[in-house]
Amino acid sequence: MYDIFVYFCLFLLQHREEKQLEASVESLASRVAHVKNALHSFIYKLENEYERLAWPSVLDNFALLSGQLNTINKLLKNEKTPSFRNQVIIPLLLSPDRDEDLAKLTEQRVPVFSHEIVPDYLRTKPDPEVEEQEKQLSTEAARIGPEVAQKQIQALNKVCSNLLEKLNNPRDDRDTETSSLRQNKPSFNPADTNALVGAVAFGKGLSKCRPPGPVAPTHPGQGPMMSGGPTLQQVTIGGGSGQQAGMGGPGAPQQQGQPGKMPSSIKTNIKSASGSMHPYTRSLPQQ
Amino acid sequence: MEAPPVTVMPVTGGTINMMEYLLQGSVLDQALESLLHRLRGLCDNMEPESFTDHELVYLLKGQQGNPFILRARRSLSHPTAPWHLRYLGQPEVGDKSRHALVRNCVDVAASHSLPEFLNEMGFRMDHEFVANGHIFRKGVMKVVVSKLSRILVPGNTENTERLSLSYLVELSVLAPAGQDTVSEDMRSFAEQLKPLVHLEKIDPSKQRH
Repeated sequence: MYDIFVYFCLFLLQHREEKQLEASVESLASRVAHVKNALHSFIYKLENEYERLAWPSVLDNFALLSGQLNTINKLLKNEKTPSFRNQVIIPLLLSPDRDEDLAKLTEQRVPVFSHEIVPDYLRTKPDPEVEEQEKQLSTEAARIGPEVAQKQIQALNKVCSNLLEKLNNPRDDRDTETSSLRQNKPSFNPADTNALVGAVAFGKGLSKCRPPGPVAPTHPGQGPMMSGGPTLQQVTIGGGSGQQAGMGGPGAPQQQGQPGKMPSSIKTNIKSASGSMHPYTRSLPQQ
Repeated sequence: MEAPPVTVMPVTGGTINMMEYLLQGSVLDQALESLLHRLRGLCDNMEPESFTDHELVYLLKGQQGNPFILRARRSLSHPTAPWHLRYLGQPEVGDKSRHALVRNCVDVAASHSLPEFLNEMGFRMDHEFVANGHIFRKGVMKVVVSKLSRILVPGNTENTERLSLSYLVELSVLAPAGQDTVSEDMRSFAEQLKPLVHLEKIDPSKQRH
C-alpha cells in the first residue's frame, strides 16, 4: 500500500517537472524567436538601407538585441526553470533524405537531419579554441590565490562605483576642471580667426603688390606701394577721396602690362557720368 | 506728390532680396580632422565635397564713400565651370541681439570673360587668394572649412603660400530678408561645434585696425 503511494507521488513529481520543462522550453523558444526577428530586420536594414542609416537607429537596434538577450538570461536564471543541463538530447534517427516537416518547422534552414548537421546543432561543448582559453583562465585564477583575487575584485568594484558616481552626479565644478584640462590643447586660435576674416573680408595681408612676408597690422602695403613705380601717381583717382577709402592702401592696383595712362582715362569717364556707386543705376558714360 | 513708402510699392520684377547670414570661426590644423569628423556626423549624409577656388576681389572706386566691391570666384578643380560673381553689402546694423552677421547678397554666374569684362567696366582687382577645403550642408545651412593661401605671383595659382596655420570655418545661410529664425538655427548648430570651433559674428569693420 505504502509502495503504491510512493510510486504515485514520484509519478506526479515527474509529471510536474515535465510540465515545467515544457513551459520553460516554450518561453525560451519564443524569446529566441524575438531575437531572431530583431537580428533579421537589423541585417536587412544594414544591407539595404545603409545609406540612410544614422547612428541613433543603429544604437537602437543594438539596444533592442541587448535587452532581448537580457530577458533570455533572466529566464534561464529563474528558479522555476529546471536545469537544462540535466536534459540530454540524443538523435534517434539520422537520414540523408530531405524531411519536409523539419524544413517547414525551421523555415528551410534545416532541410535534412543528417550526420553533417548534428555536430553543429546538437553541440554542447564549446569550440576547442574557446575551451583552451577557458582552461587557461581557470588555471590562472587558481594560481593567483584567493587573497589576491579578492583584492582584484575590490579594486574593480571601486573603479566601477567611482565611474558610476561621476556619471550620475553632474557636478558644477566639473566644467571648470575639464576646461582647465582642455587649456592644454586648444583647437582654435582667436588671432588666427581675426586674421583669416580680415583676409577674406578686405584682403588684409593679401594685396598682390606687396612682396610676400610678415604683414604689418596697420595700413598694409603703404610703404611698398610708394616704391611700386612712378605711374602710381598718375593712376590714382579721385585724389583724396580714393585714399580715404582705406582699401589696401592708396594703390588702385595696377594692371601689369597695361599702359598707365589708359586705365585712368576710362575711370575718369565713368566717374564723371555717375554720381552713385551702384553700377546698376549708372547711365552710359558721356564721351 | 510724395512717392509712397518703399514697403507698399508693388514689386515690379527683379529678384527677391537675398540676405546672407554668416558666422565665422577658425580651427587649428591639428584639430581639423576632429572637426571634419564631427561635421560629417552632424551634417546631411552626403560625400563631403572638397573644393579649390580662386577668388579675385574687384574694386570700383568713386568720388566719395566706400568703393564698390565685387567678388569673382572660379573653381580650380572644375576649370570649365562658370565663374561666380557675388556682391556683398554692408552688414546690417539692426538688432544687436541677432546672432549672425546679416548682409545683402547678390549672386550671379558669369562666363569666363568675366575678369576682362570687369576691367573694361572700370573695376580693378584689389586682391586675390586661393581657398581650398571642404563644404558641408545641413538643410539650408552651408558649412565651409577652407584653407586660405596667398598668391605670390599674380595670376599664378600654382605658386601659393598659406596665410596662417588655421582653417577658416564659415556657417552661412542664404535667405530672403526678414527671416530671423534662421539665426536661431545657426546659433544652435554652432553650439554643437563647440568647443572645437567658436563660431561667432565677427564684424569685418572691426578687423581693419
